[in-house]
Amino acid sequence: MNIPLGHYLILAAILFAIGLAGALTRKNAIIVLMGIEVMFNSAILNLVAFWQYKYFAVPTAQLFAIFAIAVAAAESAVGLALVIAVYRHYKSVDVDEMKELKG
Amino acid sequence: MNLAFWIISAVTVLGALLAVSLRNLVHCVLALILFFIGIAAHYFLLRADFLGTVQILIYVGAVAVLILFAIMLTHNVTGTDGPREILGVKWWSGAVIAAALAILLKKAILSDPLAMVLPAGDKAQSSVAEIGRALVANWVVPLEAIAILLTAALIGAVVIALEEIQKSR
Amino acid sequence: MDHLQNLARQQWLIPVIPLAAAAIQSLLPRSAKKLSAGLCLIAMGISCLFALRAFFATLGHTDAPQAVWNFTWFEYGTVSFKLGFILDPLTAAMAAMVTFVGFWIFVNATGYMHDDENFTRFFCFLSLFAAAMLGLVISNNILLLFMCWELVGLCSYLLIGFWFQKPSAAAACKKAFITTRIGDVGFFLGILMLFWKTGTLNLYTAEGTGALQRVGELLGPGWFGWSVATTIAVLLFIGAMGKSAQFPLHVWLPDAMEGPTPVSALIHAATMVAAGVFMVGRMFPLFIAGGSLEHPTFAMDMVLYIGAFTALFSATIAVAQFDIKRVLAYSTCSQLGFMVMALGAGGLVPGQFHLLTHAFFKALLFLGSGCVIIGTHHEQDMRKMGGLRKYMPITFVCYLIGMLALAGVPPFAGFFSKDEVLLVTFQRSKLAWGMATFAAFLTGFYMTRQMFMVFAGKWRGGDHNEVHGHGGHEPHEVPWNMWLPIAVLSLFAVGLGFFGGKYAHYLGAEEEELSGKALVMGLSIAVGALGIFLGWVLYGRKPLAHANDPDPLEDKLGGLFTCLNRKWYVDEFYEATIIRATTACGTLFRVIDKRLVDGILHSIVWIVRGISQVCRWVGDEFFINGGFDAGCQTVRGSGWLMSKLQNGRVQNYFRVLGLGTIILLVVYFLKS
Repeated sequence: MNIPLGHYLILAAILFAIGLAGALTRKNAIIVLMGIEVMFNSAILNLVAFWQYKYFAVPTAQLFAIFAIAVAAAESAVGLALVIAVYRHYKSVDVDEMKELKG
Repeated sequence: MNLAFWIISAVTVLGALLAVSLRNLVHCVLALILFFIGIAAHYFLLRADFLGTVQILIYVGAVAVLILFAIMLTHNVTGTDGPREILGVKWWSGAVIAAALAILLKKAILSDPLAMVLPAGDKAQSSVAEIGRALVANWVVPLEAIAILLTAALIGAVVIALEEIQKSR
Repeated sequence: MDHLQNLARQQWLIPVIPLAAAAIQSLLPRSAKKLSAGLCLIAMGISCLFALRAFFATLGHTDAPQAVWNFTWFEYGTVSFKLGFILDPLTAAMAAMVTFVGFWIFVNATGYMHDDENFTRFFCFLSLFAAAMLGLVISNNILLLFMCWELVGLCSYLLIGFWFQKPSAAAACKKAFITTRIGDVGFFLGILMLFWKTGTLNLYTAEGTGALQRVGELLGPGWFGWSVATTIAVLLFIGAMGKSAQFPLHVWLPDAMEGPTPVSALIHAATMVAAGVFMVGRMFPLFIAGGSLEHPTFAMDMVLYIGAFTALFSATIAVAQFDIKRVLAYSTCSQLGFMVMALGAGGLVPGQFHLLTHAFFKALLFLGSGCVIIGTHHEQDMRKMGGLRKYMPITFVCYLIGMLALAGVPPFAGFFSKDEVLLVTFQRSKLAWGMATFAAFLTGFYMTRQMFMVFAGKWRGGDHNEVHGHGGHEPHEVPWNMWLPIAVLSLFAVGLGFFGGKYAHYLGAEEEELSGKALVMGLSIAVGALGIFLGWVLYGRKPLAHANDPDPLEDKLGGLFTCLNRKWYVDEFYEATIIRATTACGTLFRVIDKRLVDGILHSIVWIVRGISQVCRWVGDEFFINGGFDAGCQTVRGSGWLMSKLQNGRVQNYFRVLGLGTIILLVVYFLKS
């Protein structure tokens, strides 16, 4: 397989953009969180691509990726707990209805 | 072998697109799972097998299930997102921003000769033992920190979600 | 010497252990009585072991060994400021005495202060005091000595005023602190002069550059025609006068009896007041520099005569006191006078030896009086005691031993040490010797008076109960943790005297053949016996029957007795002169402050206020307010516009974020 590094990076960029679009566009808070997950994964893919191509001598990048995955998992757990808490208060998960930060 | 890359990439992008555009929430989650599996396949292709396994275990096995639970607990009864203003300002602005970002990133990537590097192939080996050793020897402090982080996230998530149950009684 | 050097390095342990105990105790709650006392005792015990180890290590050497260890405390520029510890016979013996006697006093204190609710605070202060005193003793640097000196004074203040709710105690601790402070001014001036003339504050160093090793350089002219060394010695002695209660700075010591009796035993008998004597001993080369037996320096003269005078003066006052602790306080003052006098006569060894023996038997006497006080349910007036021999036999025997030691009856310790003191004084000045001998006579007399008033006859304490109406309590013996210490100390009071010769060797002095040995010894025994006999005649044959009976001495001496009882009116004299003058100065300055300074202040304020009013009328109202209001309107308008941006929706903010990032990236690309 001789895919140059650039292909991987562009793939990651496209995935990142898709995730960003999802986070910016959708009404449902849970889909926003899914978009954020997509963004996370694309970034980690970026990381691992670099490992394979240039820095394969030490497993440091893989460790970085593991830690990043752990952090992402923790973040999504807390984020979803927050969504649930917010749901109980507002009785909906529509992001447009949560405007108490106004003013 | 190049073909493998293109196919897996296509699957991954498809998964991501469907995840952010479908109307039924559960369908979205399934698409997301497809996306995760695609990423895991990419990891295997990049010879980071341990990481691919971890990806499936954690993301598909835990995070996706978590999202499903969250969907269940915040039941919009029909499971749909409601009517969508496809051509509203909001949608267009989000799409434009994302597209612009993608184009700019592509330009940035292609302007650097680094993008032409070819893969290392067989020279890149990783063994679980090696990773394990590095984790415990050089990176033990981040390891501990991650442990604390996960504990804190666990407790935090439980506390946040739990309180409301008591309040609503 | 290496072993000694190592021990010298470790000298700091001796004060630091009680200091650590004090630090821990200061954090304990009031209820942790056993823990506090335990910590204090254990710390003191460990310190005692260390001190004894150092002491025994110095015993093996035939000449006076000396090991110092100096370390750098801080450096400024190229000069480094060093502190140090010293281990030599003087220090070792003193440290051993302080820790040992201190330990037993602490044990006694657990009994004396048993019912007090501030038990933990008491023991915290005791530990702190022990640390400070030991630091003073081991110090090789005069500034460190002074710091510990001050700290010891502070602890004395805290402990005298322990029952600060009593106004008399509060006044007493203030008096003690201020009076010793007056002495400390002289001390500090002495330190400054020493530093100025020698450039160092360390006393001994291994290279021979210590201040006391270069006394020969200090023989140039100083103040008032004395040499520099003598000037420094005089100034330092002023400090010692304050701390060791010599006339005229002795007035604080009797009032210090307001503190609990263990405090009196520890601080005002055995250790703190001895610090002045110790300091003179430590700085002895300065005192004798440039002089000899035939032509003594002014410093030696001053020390000799002030010591002799104080010895006689306080002994006369002690004769006419009725409070059991006051008698002992004046007795301490008198004995300190003896020690100081011995030092002034050039006898370093007799003076220090008397310090050691005095510590033991005076502590014994004070603790014994504490036992008496507790046993008679907090009665301190001797006229209301009597017959305690039957009720408190152990205390009686120990007190008797102490009294005999103090009166100088052979073979008890006091006899040997006092005899040496008198002998060395006889060499120097017959006048001083005469005063001291008369003081020894009075010592025997007043101690016998005290013994008979307290322990003989019948118990008079019930007498005043007939008037007051509540049932009289009979006195009782004290618990074991109060009489065990005095028993231990009485052993030393008996046996310590025989080590006098050895002590001289130990300190490195040669055995001199002094003239008049037989005369002095015979006369001192004679006057001691005469004093005891007279005491028996007046007080022993017919002990006082009732508490209200007049003192037999009173009708013999009449007005003189009242004068002695009122302490020769020294306090009243100070009150009428110095204190009145100081208060008058204070009032004068207060008036100046109020009228002059406040007046100026008020007029300035008036002017400034006037100016500010004018500014307000002209500038503020017209220009600034108007312009400001217009500006505010503009800001509000634009703020209203901007607030539309904050609609509370997070996704919107996110979009704006993305838009901003894109714009930045575009700009970046266009530039590069």
